[in-house]
Amino acid sequence: MSKIDKWNEKIWSFFASVDLAIALFIFISTGAALGTIIPQQSEPEMIVRFFSNFFSPTTAMKAYEIVSLLDLNNVYHSWWFTFLLFMFALNLIVCSVERLPYLLKSFKTVSTALPVEVLENMPFKKKIENVSPDVSHKISEILKKKGFTVNIFETQDGIQIQGRKWSKTRLAVYLTHLSILIILSGTLIGTFFGFRGSMNIIEGRGLNFAISDSGKAIPLGFEVRCDRFEVEYYENSSIPKAYRSYIRILENGEVIKFNGKENVVIEVNQPFSYKGITFYQASYGFQPSEHAEFRFSYFDHNNMEHNISAKFEEKFNIPGTSVKASVIDFSPALGIDEQGRLFNMDTNMINPAVLVRFEQGDKKTEQWILTKIPETWNTPYGKLKFHEIWGAQFTGLQVRKDPGVPLIYIGSLFLCVGLFISLFLRPVTLFAKLSKNRLDFYCPSSKVSSISEKQIDKIINKLKGEKV
Amino acid sequence: MSHQIISIAGLIYILAMPIYIVYILTKNNKVGYGATFTLTIGAVVQIFGFIQRVIEMYEINHSIMRSIPITNLYESLIFFALCLIVGYLFIEWKYKKKSLGVFASLIAGITIGLTDVLGVTKEVQPLVPALKSNWLLAHVTLSFISYAAFGISFITGLLHIIMESQTKKSFKYIFSTTLLAFIVFMFISVIIDILNGSNPKNVKIFHSTLGNPSTFISLISWMVLIAFILTAWKFGHLLNKTLNSLKIDSNFLEDLTYKGIAFGFPIFTIGGLVFGAIWADQAWGRYWGWDPKETWSLITWFVYAFYLHAKFIRGWRGTKTSVIAVIGFIVTIFTYLGVNLFLSGLHSYGSM
Ligand code: HEM
Repeated sequence: MSKIDKWNEKIWSFFASVDLAIALFIFISTGAALGTIIPQQSEPEMIVRFFSNFFSPTTAMKAYEIVSLLDLNNVYHSWWFTFLLFMFALNLIVCSVERLPYLLKSFKTVSTALPVEVLENMPFKKKIENVSPDVSHKISEILKKKGFTVNIFETQDGIQIQGRKWSKTRLAVYLTHLSILIILSGTLIGTFFGFRGSMNIIEGRGLNFAISDSGKAIPLGFEVRCDRFEVEYYENSSIPKAYRSYIRILENGEVIKFNGKENVVIEVNQPFSYKGITFYQASYGFQPSEHAEFRFSYFDHNNMEHNISAKFEEKFNIPGTSVKASVIDFSPALGIDEQGRLFNMDTNMINPAVLVRFEQGDKKTEQWILTKIPETWNTPYGKLKFHEIWGAQFTGLQVRKDPGVPLIYIGSLFLCVGLFISLFLRPVTLFAKLSKNRLDFYCPSSKVSSISEKQIDKIINKLKGEKV
Repeated sequence: MSHQIISIAGLIYILAMPIYIVYILTKNNKVGYGATFTLTIGAVVQIFGFIQRVIEMYEINHSIMRSIPITNLYESLIFFALCLIVGYLFIEWKYKKKSLGVFASLIAGITIGLTDVLGVTKEVQPLVPALKSNWLLAHVTLSFISYAAFGISFITGLLHIIMESQTKKSFKYIFSTTLLAFIVFMFISVIIDILNGSNPKNVKIFHSTLGNPSTFISLISWMVLIAFILTAWKFGHLLNKTLNSLKIDSNFLEDLTYKGIAFGFPIFTIGGLVFGAIWADQAWGRYWGWDPKETWSLITWFVYAFYLHAKFIRGWRGTKTSVIAVIGFIVTIFTYLGVNLFLSGLHSYGSM
């Protein structure tokens, strides 16, 4: 054997060893755990501050140097963590390539009678005396009924019965391992051919690009318009019930229809996909823009409803009267305390309110109108209900394109199927030797001997039952 | 109120523990039935409380799928205790062995007791939008079922180690006695925490002992903990003798440890990792983000994968594998509670 061959063999057997797998389990776990303790992707000061909780300032600085040398502030994207995952994948591949052929071969080879010494060396043995000589048929019948494949051999030492069940389930382990490779390749594809970004769209506006996590603009090739964004709250509380964005997609100036409808609703847990790009409801915020409008309903004395919308400080007419009104102040969540005073409760729009000034000739009055408190809608000039301020909020969408996701899902499916088969349907092998009126059961260095043990006990009980 | 009913169930579990001890010492069958009966009553009461809670949640959320009580830390702890007890009762029925009852009832009782001291809200809360997902439901339910299975293999693994290790200098002996001493210490500390806390919502675990603001009390507590550990180390062999005299079959323990993991591992994989990833994918637009909770779930998974490979391919047997099973459950507990208490992340159970 040449030197190179020797080296090849050494490297191969290094990657084929399960010891490497066990070492990698430990290394990867330790590395991943470090990443949850040391602050990740944060400013150097943060990390120094973190260490100065435990050490003196100079030691904390030293610790920071080690951290930045080993990328411990960015563990999951560091060269060594990627390297460990790469080793893990290689280990899996080599290990499977090494072992699978043996397994496949073992399915093909015709089983032969085992020598008695081999049987006697098996960890599990059980004997019954005084059985009738024709019991071998009964045993083979019982085994067959239990789903075993049975082989019977005539040997010098008597009749040998071999029962095997679920031996093919050993293949499932390879499905499990393959699925891990599929998942890893899915993540690679996602990293290289996908992107992640976000976009903040003000109500009434549209955007045709997203901002990537590193701050670059990513053109989408179409425009996402936000017609409306709303937060729904549980009754009488500030706990949000739903975040909803009403979206339209425009491509080359035309609105795209989905199932015959132009409007699309995006909610938390209900993302929306178009052309491989998925949009998720992630956040929202308040950002007054010049096109923001206050929307009202006015009910005249005939209880006819009139819709009114006006910009900030813009005067509008109260229908059927000479009264002019305008919005002069706004609060996102006004509450009334026990003394009847108004106070601002929250920065979220739990109960938006406006201060409206009415002008009739020289007479000026002002009144707060609260969306959720109907008593405040009654004004000296009729019922004026405040609905919302539109165009002053933005919806924050998470944007993602990841062509690797189908692989992740397929890999996950294989992973579960493989695991269930290999852990719930373990292969069982049984041997029985019948010489004269003595019956011996054997079980090979079975991985979980007690499973087979119980099966043997059951079979023995059955035999005894039939003999009586 | 459902949480009061559930607290009663917790008390019944604690009550069942001494009955199991008396049974183990006397081997009197009547006492044994009494123990099983008490534990079963506890489970029935808890199931009743569970149903009660479903009804309370339904009144807020108006949807059955959104009314399964596993939406916050309190509810998940309670669900874990229920799974553990039901799983244990199943094992008792299947294998006709009651020796594990002491530990199952103790752990379930402590878990329910813990909800009093962790300062968790027990009120029914409306669901925030992120929690409204069927994937989340499947994710959490299956995760806790697998945690309960791991919990059972923890009990059997620990017993196995105690039974098999005699030499005081061996790692296994020191490991198991230290762990036992710590569990007992924690149990007592939690009781003191409850007694000291005027307002149950403000009680923090270990606040009146190890983490006491007074350095003096904290120092004393540490010394007491060390004293506990030394005592356990000194007299651990008595426990070993008792267990051996009970004639618990150590193969049975090893086998049950394996079964707990062989059952829990696939459930954890599909429920904890896969469904969790699908949910994260839908809610946050990423299936994996190295959030501390996700990372620790992966570590838990690796520890049990380590167990399976060590057992099947390296051919490890006996207490060596049981040590991994015990470590596995400690990591599981950390994933489940420690991450919320000590690290921050996106998972909403973190907010208590
Ligand atoms: C975390 C990832 C992994 C998981 C979930 C996993 C899962 C499993 C399972 C469930 C078994 C079946 C054990 C049994 O019941 O006999 C198994 C067997 C095995 N695993 Fe893994 N495994 C992983 C990683 C690895 C790695 C990295 C290697 C690299 C060498 C490896 C090598 C093996 C081998 C050689 C077997 C025995 C196959 C046989 O019986 O023919 N595994 N694995």
